[in-house]
Amino acid sequence: MMIEFDGVTRRYGRKVAVDGLSLRVAPGETFALLGPNGAGKTTTIKMLVGLLRPNAGTVRVCGHDVVRETRAATGQMGYVPDQAFLYDKLTGREFLEFLADVRGMDREVWQSNLRRQARWFELDGFLDDLTETYSHGMRQRLVFAAALLHDPKVLVVDEPMVGLDPRAGRIVKDLLRARAAEGTSVFMSTHTLSVAEEIADRIGIVDRGRLRFLGTVDKLRAELASPHSSLESLYLTLTNGHGDPMEDPADTPEKQQS
Amino acid sequence: MSEAEWVTAAEPWQEGTAFGPAGALASEEDESRAFWRMRLRRARTAAYQTFFHARLRLLLILALSVLLWAGLYWLFADGFWFLRTGVRDQVTHGQIVRAVFGMFFVALMVMLVFSSFIILYGALFRSPEIALLFSMPARTARVFVHKFQEAVFLSSWAFILLGSPMLIAYGTVARAPWYYYPLLVPFMVSFVYIPAGIGALVCLLVVYWLPGDRRHVVLALVVAAGAVVVGGVWLFWSTFARPSGELLTPSWFREVLGRLQFSERWLLPSWWLSSGLLSAARGVWRDAVMLLTVLVANALLVRQAAIWVAVGTYRAAYSALRARHTPRKRCGVARIDRLVFAAAAPFSRAIRLLTVKDLRIFRRDPVQWTQFLIFFGLLALYFLNIRRLSYSMEYRVWVNMISFLNLSVVGLLLSTFTTRFIFPMISLEGRRFWILGLLPIRRETILWGKFVFAVGGSIIPCSGLILLSDTMLQVSPMLTISHQLTCLILCVGLSGIAVGLGARLPNLREESPSRIAAGFGGTLNLVVSTLYIVAVVLMTAVPYHFFLHSGGPRTPGLFAGVFGLAPWLRFWLVAGTLGSVILGILATVIPLRIGFRAFRRLEF
Repeated sequence: MMIEFDGVTRRYGRKVAVDGLSLRVAPGETFALLGPNGAGKTTTIKMLVGLLRPNAGTVRVCGHDVVRETRAATGQMGYVPDQAFLYDKLTGREFLEFLADVRGMDREVWQSNLRRQARWFELDGFLDDLTETYSHGMRQRLVFAAALLHDPKVLVVDEPMVGLDPRAGRIVKDLLRARAAEGTSVFMSTHTLSVAEEIADRIGIVDRGRLRFLGTVDKLRAELASPHSSLESLYLTLTNGHGDPMEDPADTPEKQQS
Repeated sequence: MSEAEWVTAAEPWQEGTAFGPAGALASEEDESRAFWRMRLRRARTAAYQTFFHARLRLLLILALSVLLWAGLYWLFADGFWFLRTGVRDQVTHGQIVRAVFGMFFVALMVMLVFSSFIILYGALFRSPEIALLFSMPARTARVFVHKFQEAVFLSSWAFILLGSPMLIAYGTVARAPWYYYPLLVPFMVSFVYIPAGIGALVCLLVVYWLPGDRRHVVLALVVAAGAVVVGGVWLFWSTFARPSGELLTPSWFREVLGRLQFSERWLLPSWWLSSGLLSAARGVWRDAVMLLTVLVANALLVRQAAIWVAVGTYRAAYSALRARHTPRKRCGVARIDRLVFAAAAPFSRAIRLLTVKDLRIFRRDPVQWTQFLIFFGLLALYFLNIRRLSYSMEYRVWVNMISFLNLSVVGLLLSTFTTRFIFPMISLEGRRFWILGLLPIRRETILWGKFVFAVGGSIIPCSGLILLSDTMLQVSPMLTISHQLTCLILCVGLSGIAVGLGARLPNLREESPSRIAAGFGGTLNLVVSTLYIVAVVLMTAVPYHFFLHSGGPRTPGLFAGVFGLAPWLRFWLVAGTLGSVILGILATVIPLRIGFRAFRRLEF
């Protein structure tokens, strides 16, 4: 498994943001985490990339515990946050070079990767401008290129479509599919249900810190007995109700180990 | 040992891990080089932009720095020259110089510990850059060292600007050998590392042990600052609180030197610095080099200790602080809001609402206002104890001078308040301007709201402090009224300058008010405010000084003395007062007009 959450809990004071989360993401799988505001999606992602530590449970990336082997885990990951930090006084190219240097990439490899990313995200027109002059969309495209520069085995994306125009959005969706086809695991959180429906192999729906559903969209339709409903109506049905969380048996640790 | 090796020594467990192509990690040397290259590139771009696109700003900052440096140099050179010619006895002279050096560097050391704590708290735990670096395979120690070096740079810049004029002035007066001057640099840099390292250690451990709530960190800082302030007040009190007959006598002087000897304890880094430099100035280079070695060794030790602590605590503390529970604020209308709303009755409803809104934002950020509470509290403490400092109340010219000096100090404190809080307010509105911009009010109303808030917020504490000072100094009712008028002029004028310049020179990209205040606009605001205070105080103080010299009020009654004066003196008294009023009006109206015009054209 590329990503493993085992009984992960994270509290903010007395408020439980993530409550006993357990799930696995396989190589080449695209997983979308859905949920209302404050459900615990961003907390989950921050624990995955090592910015927050769980109060209980473990998070593993490519077999490395994110807390105890942080460098090993983050070395395998690319991360696209919802609000990315860029150094204002660096150009896009200098920013990418810094990230490549910190990741210990060979110069020829990163330059070749950069050419590929620049072509894919159409960065050539502004790569040598200072990032302080970038629009939101340009920043977002640069951050995607930065996250993919080292060919990560795991790509973590928080709200991939925010600030992107339709063309850039199409590029990102195609890219996520292509990466998954090459074996990269994609873990994203989103409010854009159409994106999740279009590209995710499986979805997880969290509400008030608990995983309410884990599985495919078809499985969700079957469980809610709504074979022709859109993901949006299924999502609304699920997050408005307060029933017991539905678990995907395939995702229980015991099942996966067997 | 290279810097990279120092960092590696702190994280041995990371070594030797094998990864696939995506997980290949940078060596310590490569990582160190990457961070330095990134910093140099940013610095080069910032320098290029400043040189080619902000020459006026660069020139102003350079000119002000040179002016400040030259003023301090002149002050210290004059003081050391006075000591050299006034105190002929070599032993006493040496004692005094050591006491001056000791106290100066002890005070700077304490301030550097606090400033490093505050700078590093922001840099290590609140900077968005850390989220980027922590999501990368960068070593924790490297991230810490990166921010620590930035903090040392920021701290040493101010330290060198304040310390170098004194040390160079001493070298000139003491006719120090040539190598005294190049030795100043390694001495000062290695000295700065020690308090900065202590500040970093304290910051990491405080956040690690008290991560649950930011208020705990603020409380710890306030308690520590309070302890230092109490210690300082006790020292001051015990030195000067005695009958006037005992002051400035040889026995008092010996006792003062004895009390200040705590700053010359040989275990203090400030002692290594001052003794090393004094040895160099005397030409005893062996002692100077030995003490420099001690200083460098301890600086490296403190730095390494901070790195070790960072490796063990930094990520955990960062995570815990980010996951702190933010208590929900009650959003009811507080009494103070109702009071301010009622007090601002002469203004339009929109201005009153905007004033209350600014008051709420200000009140709910204790990090912002606690430091000013401490400063205003200290001033009040000092004013309450003026009589204990044994100023002769019979000597009216002396009392007059002290009262005007107190007025100036309150004005200067107010100018830092307006620079730090009022000036950035317009810039901070930039991001939420879509709310204000869509309201059915004129843009000027927003600035008027800030102006009313600034005047109202400053006039009550300042006027109270001046009244306290005048009461304790037992000045005449006429002077009390004159001071209150000057205080009003200062409050209105400084508010006008801060609001006007804030609207004319906004920084809409920056979210941190302290950074906005530290920028060009904030610096200009501080300079203009200082010049304004000096001009207003001089206009009222100088005529009153001559008035007292001429005999002062001879007959009882509020203004009775004025009418019996020589015509020229009466003219200057009236002209000084009128001049300060006119200057106050100009300082309010002109910046506000400039600000209004700029604010109307401002595109968000």
